[in-house]
Amino acid sequence: MKSTTWVSIFPSSIQELLSKLPEPILDRIEEVRVRQERPLELNYAGQFHYVSRRGVLTDVPHEGYRPTREDGNRLLDFITNHSLYTMEEELRKGYITIQGGHRIGLAGRAVLTKGHVDHLRDITSFNIRIAREMQGVGDSIIPYLLDFRHQTVNHTLIVSPPQHGKTTLIRDLARLMSTGQWRHPEAKWKGLKVGVVDERSEIAGCMKGVPSFDVGPRTDVLDGCPKAEGMMMMIRSMSPDVMLVDEIGRPEDAEAIREALHAGIRVIATAHGGELEDVLRRPVLNKLMSDELFQSYVVLRRSGRGMSRRFYDARRRLLHPDGLAMKGGGMDG
Amino acid sequence: MVKLIGAVLVIVSGTLFGFYQAAQFANRPKQIRAFILALQRLETEILYGFTPLADALGKIGQQLTDPLKSIFTEAARRLTDHRSSVTAQESWQFAVEEQWKHTAMKQSEKNIIYQFGFTLGTSDRNDQIKHIRLAINQLQHEEAAAQNEQGRYEKMCRSLGLLAGALIVILIY
Repeated sequence: MKSTTWVSIFPSSIQELLSKLPEPILDRIEEVRVRQERPLELNYAGQFHYVSRRGVLTDVPHEGYRPTREDGNRLLDFITNHSLYTMEEELRKGYITIQGGHRIGLAGRAVLTKGHVDHLRDITSFNIRIAREMQGVGDSIIPYLLDFRHQTVNHTLIVSPPQHGKTTLIRDLARLMSTGQWRHPEAKWKGLKVGVVDERSEIAGCMKGVPSFDVGPRTDVLDGCPKAEGMMMMIRSMSPDVMLVDEIGRPEDAEAIREALHAGIRVIATAHGGELEDVLRRPVLNKLMSDELFQSYVVLRRSGRGMSRRFYDARRRLLHPDGLAMKGGGMDG
Repeated sequence: MVKLIGAVLVIVSGTLFGFYQAAQFANRPKQIRAFILALQRLETEILYGFTPLADALGKIGQQLTDPLKSIFTEAARRLTDHRSSVTAQESWQFAVEEQWKHTAMKQSEKNIIYQFGFTLGTSDRNDQIKHIRLAINQLQHEEAAAQNEQGRYEKMCRSLGLLAGALIVILIY
């Protein structure tokens, strides 16, 4: 099955266990955690389970299958495409993105040079985060972000805790904006040029520069590029109408966002945080927010029942979810 | 008449065998030399090109001639084949085992090249380069030994083949 091709990166011993799991579970797995000599763990729908040696889920740690050193080495060999030496930068950052946009976090022993992490060795923990394209998650959100006067979208900050769907959302927003699907009866303008600065290859899941996910026909992806530098490069070279970046927070990111603003480019960015107040506590973002650079805010939260979202305006006043964007022009400034 | 034809056949086959042995002695240092050059190319691909292993091996294989070519291309083929999940080490060592009989090289070179497979692709660039250089260094020693042997035995083998053929003819005539 196409949606579970990621299974093939595992060594055969683990592949065998995973293939015994029922399909509905396999389709919903979010993370597979491989730790050498410790039970194999699966996360899905917000819960975690171990996988036993017989390939059934269990909550008792000692029943779990324990990946061997050999399993770990084989997994590392596969995910690095047999060429660890091409992944030095990735090893410094601690994660590798593989075909299909899946991201694999790594932990092991850090090797330092002059006090800075040079790379990892003896890698024994792997966190395989399965990327899933969920077309349509942005449908209900994009109408709230429209700027009718300028026929574009607002500067937007999307706030959510990790694993609550930020990246999935901006990937879908990129697709919607690029194809010009505004999901609003009065929004009739065509698709915009979208620039994605994808530092961790998560948004577009690029392999050799080509996006694995559908990010739309008018979307340019700058893959693996540091955000601040990438944004400046995009502004100078690709003249995007809208720029998307994931997880901003460093001073140079803010600088680049201001630059984009002055160049007339709309920015949709994400930040980690449970609430707007959390984000306000971070100095860099606080400055951007108090200068009212963002015109709208979206706060995501995923619970057992599904995804909830709240919208705020530039002054961080909660918007009532219905009716607002439908008035037309109501979202300006 | 039949005897004469038989005698000629024995002498010819003796001579051919001698020439074959001589050719093995002559080819061994040549192939070791070619292997060293191939490893140096691999070093460049890894150090400057950041080329993934499968691509690098395939590329180098294309530039070589048989029998070395098939070691590299075979290893590359196994790595790019998605159905067979093999590690770099396995595919390299398998290719060496499989193709070795077609080369003129001996067990000592084979050991070096086989050993080299254990670290292939599994460490950072510096480490890879060190292992490649180590293998090159060891191969150079073997090359010197092989040249020495070539000087000593190549001509001898050629004449020995002819002489052995002649000896057999004389003995049974």
